[in-house]
Amino acid sequence: MKELLEIQGLDGTGISALRRLILTLADSKRMMGIRYSDWLLGAPSIEAGIAVSSMAQDEWGHARLLYAMLKDVGLEPLKIEHERPAEEYTSVGALDGTFEHWAGIVAAMTVVDEAISVALLGFSRGRYEAARTRVPKMLAEEEFHASLAKAWYRRIAESSSKARSLLRDSTKGLLPPVLAWLGADDEAAKAMVTAGVTESSKSMTETYRDRLRDLAALVEVNIDQVQPDSGWDKDRARGPGCPDEDAVERVRGDRNRALLVE
Amino acid sequence: MPTVPTTDRGLDIGFPGRISTHKSGGRDLWTGPLKELPADRMEATWAALDEVLDPELPISLVELGLIYDVELIDKIAIVQVTFTSTACPCIEFIREDLTDRLEIEPWIKKVEIVEVWDPPWTTKRVTPAGRAKLGQLGVGA
Repeated sequence: MKELLEIQGLDGTGISALRRLILTLADSKRMMGIRYSDWLLGAPSIEAGIAVSSMAQDEWGHARLLYAMLKDVGLEPLKIEHERPAEEYTSVGALDGTFEHWAGIVAAMTVVDEAISVALLGFSRGRYEAARTRVPKMLAEEEFHASLAKAWYRRIAESSSKARSLLRDSTKGLLPPVLAWLGADDEAAKAMVTAGVTESSKSMTETYRDRLRDLAALVEVNIDQVQPDSGWDKDRARGPGCPDEDAVERVRGDRNRALLVE
Repeated sequence: MPTVPTTDRGLDIGFPGRISTHKSGGRDLWTGPLKELPADRMEATWAALDEVLDPELPISLVELGLIYDVELIDKIAIVQVTFTSTACPCIEFIREDLTDRLEIEPWIKKVEIVEVWDPPWTTKRVTPAGRAKLGQLGVGA
């Protein structure tokens, strides 16, 4: 068992890096939830809609627990959750826009949700106590997401050529920004590895590629040949762009601001 | 055999079985306050907690295995509680029900609810009594 991290012992760079790590995981969870919620109605079956409804709920529960960790690094979670503009979101870029068809959200639940789980797994194995104690429950819940994702991915991959083509294109479009996010190896990422808070981007990327290799092959995508997007912005902790304004308004709860009771 | 608070009302409106009638947290079934200070306050605290029902299932939070630990310091009860899922929509109800039930007792002045997630809750944590009650309702755990 690794010795627990003493946050007071982190220098300014370390604190900033831990803030960034928590925030990118929390923002990605929240945006993942929004994207699932886009498909509560309109999924191919009622059962599929109920499944994404439940997954949206899970993602927001995970985000809630992650945002709460920000208190440990001197940030006020409520302000972070409800008062930031879209440009300040550090979620994985693959979730910036809506998915136009069911194959797109299936690709996202396979390609993006899995990447977030791999990042969380690394976080849960580190020295930060809150991650060690809270993330395993999230990962247990994510097992159901992964099962559903795999089942739907296979189903679409083995159906019509048009459906498979949609899945292939979606997968190809999502992988580069996901690999850039998971594989970010800038100063802040390295600081977290050095502090024993998470695993190296190289190790996590390998785990991720191993988990997805066979599935991606079903749509003729060789995951080992896919390159991460360029243009990683280390200051914004994400690639170019930002989530769409409509999604961020929903995330912040703008319409219900007067009813905020937390 | 443990019993479940139920009614036959469900039959009148076409449901095939009984449905629970308990109010939030089982408030209509709560006993207490105890007339005398208990000799074993910890045991009495657990007994009180065992009266707090889950908002969705008519078994107690103790029987569901959601209460991980209780500590009594002076007149403060510190209750470690987990939830069945990270996005449980009843978290606030549960916190309120636990607090309200314990604060009935004159020897508890304040309740501190500590949310814990380690170890993660699974259905394996449901007690035999809870399992039996759920079985009566046709719910497997």
